[in-house]
Amino acid sequence: MILETKNLTKTFGLRKAVNALNLEIPNGSVYGFLGPNGSGKSTTIRMMTALISPDQGEVLINGQSVQKLGNKALLSVGALIERADFHKHLSGETNLKMLARMDGTDESRVQVVLNRTGLGERGKDKVKTYSQGMKQRLGIAQAILSNPKLLILDEPTNGLDPQGMKEVRDLVRELAAEGITIFISSHLLDEVQKICSHVAMISQGELKTAGPIEVLLKNSDLLVTEIHVDPIAPAIKLLSTQSWIHRCEEKNGLLNVGVSLDKISDLIQLLVQNNFQVSAVIPRTSLEDVFLSKVGEESQI
Amino acid sequence: MLGLIQNELLIIIGRWRSYIGFIGISILMPLILWGFSVGGEELHQDYAKELGGTFMVVGSIINSFLATYVIMNTLWIHIPFLVTLAAGDSVAADGANGIFRITLTRSVSRFKILVSKLLASYIYTATLLIFCAFWSLGIGSFVLGTGDLIVINNGILILDESQAWVRMAFSFSLAIFVMCMVATLCFMFSTMVSNAVGPIIGTMFLIIIGYMIIGIPLEIFEKIEPYVFVKYFNVWWDAFKDPIPWGEIGKKLGILGIYLVVCFGIATYVFLKKDIKS
Repeated sequence: MILETKNLTKTFGLRKAVNALNLEIPNGSVYGFLGPNGSGKSTTIRMMTALISPDQGEVLINGQSVQKLGNKALLSVGALIERADFHKHLSGETNLKMLARMDGTDESRVQVVLNRTGLGERGKDKVKTYSQGMKQRLGIAQAILSNPKLLILDEPTNGLDPQGMKEVRDLVRELAAEGITIFISSHLLDEVQKICSHVAMISQGELKTAGPIEVLLKNSDLLVTEIHVDPIAPAIKLLSTQSWIHRCEEKNGLLNVGVSLDKISDLIQLLVQNNFQVSAVIPRTSLEDVFLSKVGEESQI
Repeated sequence: MLGLIQNELLIIIGRWRSYIGFIGISILMPLILWGFSVGGEELHQDYAKELGGTFMVVGSIINSFLATYVIMNTLWIHIPFLVTLAAGDSVAADGANGIFRITLTRSVSRFKILVSKLLASYIYTATLLIFCAFWSLGIGSFVLGTGDLIVINNGILILDESQAWVRMAFSFSLAIFVMCMVATLCFMFSTMVSNAVGPIIGTMFLIIIGYMIIGIPLEIFEKIEPYVFVKYFNVWWDAFKDPIPWGEIGKKLGILGIYLVVCFGIATYVFLKKDIKS
């Protein structure tokens, strides 16, 4: 494991922000970290990167304890925690050179990462002239400056417009393709499903589920099914009255139903018995469905 | 460590606030020198009156040394305030601007970062005072000329020109140490808050309160006076005594040094334990 948390706990006042959290991030994985607002994602990530000290437990990076070794344990780590903030009155290049000097990285890497993040032409401009998307790309540039083996990204697309989000997403995909282990917290479940190999979900500081996405989707006790049914509106009316149906709506002309795995045959039987024509049943469980079943529908991610 | 100090100096150089001190000195000093130049005769008469019973005054006693000696009174309040402008920003601004989310996640110890920030503040402080000396002694020599320095302070001390240069250099060196103590105090406050104004206000408040305690002749204040750090600020004046009171200077520097170490110790403890939540 490249990154582990063991019994990680942090309390702010009376509120337990993170409660006995155990995570194992395999080498080479792209690990999504999901949870509603205020669930303890950022606190966890800040403990991983030595910004916050845990009350109990520890973070191990390559087997080295962040709490015992301090920042020395972060030698192979690049991190971007939320918004990328730099010295605005200095250029992007100067900011990166300063960071390179901090941890003894060769300054020739600066131009490499600027080019890599599409900022090669703007490196000499002051950061205050950058758009939010450019600042975020500069944030990723600083994170990969020292050739890290592990990249920790906390909400890297927050506050970006769609174009900026796409730029950051593409960059993360490229880095993942190069074999860098990426631990990423994001609001974008769809994107996490596309990018990540593994995922962990937390709520109220506690781990709800974790593992490879494929396994989570396969083992989900909530199966979301798309059904070709005719006519669709009365079918929705009928299913909405059933207490064992979790969700029922029309999506792209298909009936989209959330139902427990053991109730699938009851669902089909009910539709047929009520003279609906059922021509296809397609299982379509998404990460969002898994998230909602584990963390709860009331949670706002 | 040198790379870290270089970084901090780059940050200080890049902040407009860092130039307020230099701009202030560049406005204040010509004004004072001009004042000495046009109103020096009046001061000359006052000095001549004081010295008249004992000495025969030939020529003018108004020169850059005397002007500098008078200008050094700005070291009580004005220069400390200018020093705090950089020291107050040092840690607090990085916290407020979210820079720590980038810098403190790198493989450099917090202690090294803190020390580099403090040393950069000291370099700024020393530069500010050297700039002040450049104006008062350097430019002042062109405007007012040089000559003997006559100091009237519980007696009369006349220092010839060569001695005056040495004493001035010594006095400014002592003043740099005192201002470094002020910078450390402000730096300590800077580690505790996330805005630069608080440390500046906190430091100036303590300095002013200190002057009040040592200035008000009450028994209760006299008892706590030895523990008030501003009591030892006047160490730079000791450079103009004859003979130079080395023991007294050593004692004052020692006490200020202890304050400096304690302030840095507290700053270190706070910074190493600090949770970066913003």
